[in-house]
Amino acid sequence: MKRNIQIQLLMYIPDVLLLALAVFAFVGMFNQYQQALFIVMGLLIVLMIVRTIFINNLIRKLYTSRIIDIRTLINAFKKGKYKLRTEQPRGDDALADIHRDLVIVGTHFDNIISSQQGEIEKLRELYDSIVLSLNSYFLVLNEREEIIFANEVFCKKFQISLEYIAGKKIDDIFYFVTGRIKESIQQVKRNGNSVVLEKTHLLSNERISIIADIKISYITVKGENQIVLVMDDITNRCRKDYQISLISQISESIQHDNRLDHVLHTILTGVTSGTGLGFNRAMLFLKDEKRHILSGRMAVGPDTIEEAIKIWNSVASEREENNNVAIEDTAEGKGQELLRNVQTASFDLKEDNLLVWVLNTATSIHIHDASSDSRVDENIKKFIDVNEFVIVPLVAGNRTIGVIVADNKFNQIPIGIDSVDLLSIFAYQAALSIESYNNLEMVQDEMDKIQHRQEAIVESEKLAAVGRIASHIAHEIRNPLVTMGGYARRIIQQTDSEIPKGAQVHKAANVIINEADRLEKILSNVMDFTRSSPFILKFNNINEVIEDTVDLLRNLFQERRVEIDLQLGDDIPLVKSDFNQMKQVMLNLLQNSIDATASHGKIYVETLMRNKKVVIIVRDTGPGFEQDDIEKVFDPFFSTKVTGVGLGLAIVKKIIMDHGGEITATNRENGAEVQISLPLPG
Amino acid sequence: MSKILIVEDEQHQRELYAMELQEEGYEVDQASNGKEAVDMVKDNKYDLVILDIRMPEMDGIEALGKILSRDKKIPIVIYTAYSNYKSNFMTWTADAYITKSSNLDELKEKISELLTTRNQ
Repeated sequence: MKRNIQIQLLMYIPDVLLLALAVFAFVGMFNQYQQALFIVMGLLIVLMIVRTIFINNLIRKLYTSRIIDIRTLINAFKKGKYKLRTEQPRGDDALADIHRDLVIVGTHFDNIISSQQGEIEKLRELYDSIVLSLNSYFLVLNEREEIIFANEVFCKKFQISLEYIAGKKIDDIFYFVTGRIKESIQQVKRNGNSVVLEKTHLLSNERISIIADIKISYITVKGENQIVLVMDDITNRCRKDYQISLISQISESIQHDNRLDHVLHTILTGVTSGTGLGFNRAMLFLKDEKRHILSGRMAVGPDTIEEAIKIWNSVASEREENNNVAIEDTAEGKGQELLRNVQTASFDLKEDNLLVWVLNTATSIHIHDASSDSRVDENIKKFIDVNEFVIVPLVAGNRTIGVIVADNKFNQIPIGIDSVDLLSIFAYQAALSIESYNNLEMVQDEMDKIQHRQEAIVESEKLAAVGRIASHIAHEIRNPLVTMGGYARRIIQQTDSEIPKGAQVHKAANVIINEADRLEKILSNVMDFTRSSPFILKFNNINEVIEDTVDLLRNLFQERRVEIDLQLGDDIPLVKSDFNQMKQVMLNLLQNSIDATASHGKIYVETLMRNKKVVIIVRDTGPGFEQDDIEKVFDPFFSTKVTGVGLGLAIVKKIIMDHGGEITATNRENGAEVQISLPLPG
Repeated sequence: MSKILIVEDEQHQRELYAMELQEEGYEVDQASNGKEAVDMVKDNKYDLVILDIRMPEMDGIEALGKILSRDKKIPIVIYTAYSNYKSNFMTWTADAYITKSSNLDELKEKISELLTTRNQ
């Protein structure tokens, strides 16, 4: 440094000399050497000019190239390039220092940046792999709602290429787009806020269907507005949630609903609803043991694709309001034709067809191509009318009670193995539900029967009790009666009727005998009523019974001047009955009618078939039953007659009931009517 | 002459049967209950016994067994106001079961029938 200063000081010697000479000239020294002074001064000036030129050259030579180097460096910095291959800075002056410092700074920057770039690279990789591994589908639309990007998962799921969808609108790739999605996109465009659509049903043109939570947001990239749709596929989750709630809903609906049709409808709605098993159509057949057929009971599903779309739309919006699973009548008024077809369908259990096969083997079957599958006969083909379908058995306990048929007729999604498995599990639950419903109904029936029987028991107990009392009294009476009658007979034997007194005694004793005989007959009737002799059941012609009885009573009819009118049906089948007891019935009824009918009255007896039962009608022209008594006419010891003990109709009723028949008493316009109906065997 | 034992607790009835049967030409003994009847069968030989069922001390069914154990071949006619003992198998060992009636014709017919067979 010191040397530099000395050199610099030496350079200024001519300036100092020139200044000294100029001062001398000014003060007038060296006047006599004025000429020489000016020459010297002139030389000095020349020297100074030379020096200036020399210095300038020197400076240019020393600094300019280095400044350019520095400038290049800075320009490179400006462009973001921090590492340059420049020559090492020359010299050891400040400029060189600056240059060196700049290079060092540049190297530092470069190190920082290159290390940062590695990080960024790593982050990008991470980001990409996250995006790729996510199961979400991305769809980016531009301001005109044209698709500009879709991620790989989206393309893969919906089986379309990115090239194909670029520039298309979402309407072009989805089979239908719900109003909710369209509205939400407009809403996002208007106010820029994100919108989340939960559980939205999407169906592509390729008939691929998913349920997704869709987040729609608005972003700006390089000044351009874009709409991003992120779809989370929740189909499986929804299904599981749904299945759980469905099962509980079904059991609940069974508890609250006593109509089997509703239970079946609930089950099939579970099979068809989007969040359930998601089949398009489902049909349910139940085994009818009595008629030996498999009969169509319920169907759920649209008749046309238009109906299908309507249902899908409405199901989505309903779910929005209510997070519960909507299994109620979402398809109200839809699929009427399908329901009608199924409910009128039945298959004989002996028939060799697929439905019966599934029922008999309790094995589910998945038909992939009905048209080429030899197991599908023409009947089934025509009935189901779709190429791919599944039939699963409804197994409750160890018996198969029916089958469910499910298909995807409208969106034609191939039926996956998991769907078949789910349907089988579901069918198992459904079968239990149906079975418990049936059991409930059976219990109800049994309870009705028990109640009926109980009433019958009470009735017969009443009769039996009355019978026991009657029998006891009858026996107690019979003994003195026998004694009385016996002695009266002796009186007759021992009196001479030829003498007038004797004749009177005869007459008196005869009255006793007759009355005793009458009483004895009544007592015999009472005994008959209480005696439980086993009856002899044979196939008897009821008309014959009636004709026999009428013959027996012919004298009585004539004596009372009562006309009998028989209107006996021609084709009355034989009735399994005890001939004598039936005769007793007719005898009692006709005797009652004769007693009630005034002379010149008429009695009608009619036989006919009604509801597979043989009906006997006995009608007279008497005063009829007393209105208040109609209910009681069959009670033992009820009699409005002056004679008799009132067991006639009670005996009739007991006999008819023993035969499993029914008896009613009514009043007609001009007389009483008794109707008996007897069941036919089998 | 056939000898008949009438077993009946009701005196008037017993006497009535006795009168009627004597008039028919039978020799008649009377017992007023089962116990008496068994004793009498022990000491005498009868061709036929008419037996009531409901009686004090010993009823007809018990007496029936005891009489038959003494003499298996003696014809016995159960003559009672009760028709329901017909179903009691104990009475099936009797030769006839007739429900009482003030008209004794049925009883008389049965007796003569049984005695005829016995004497053959």
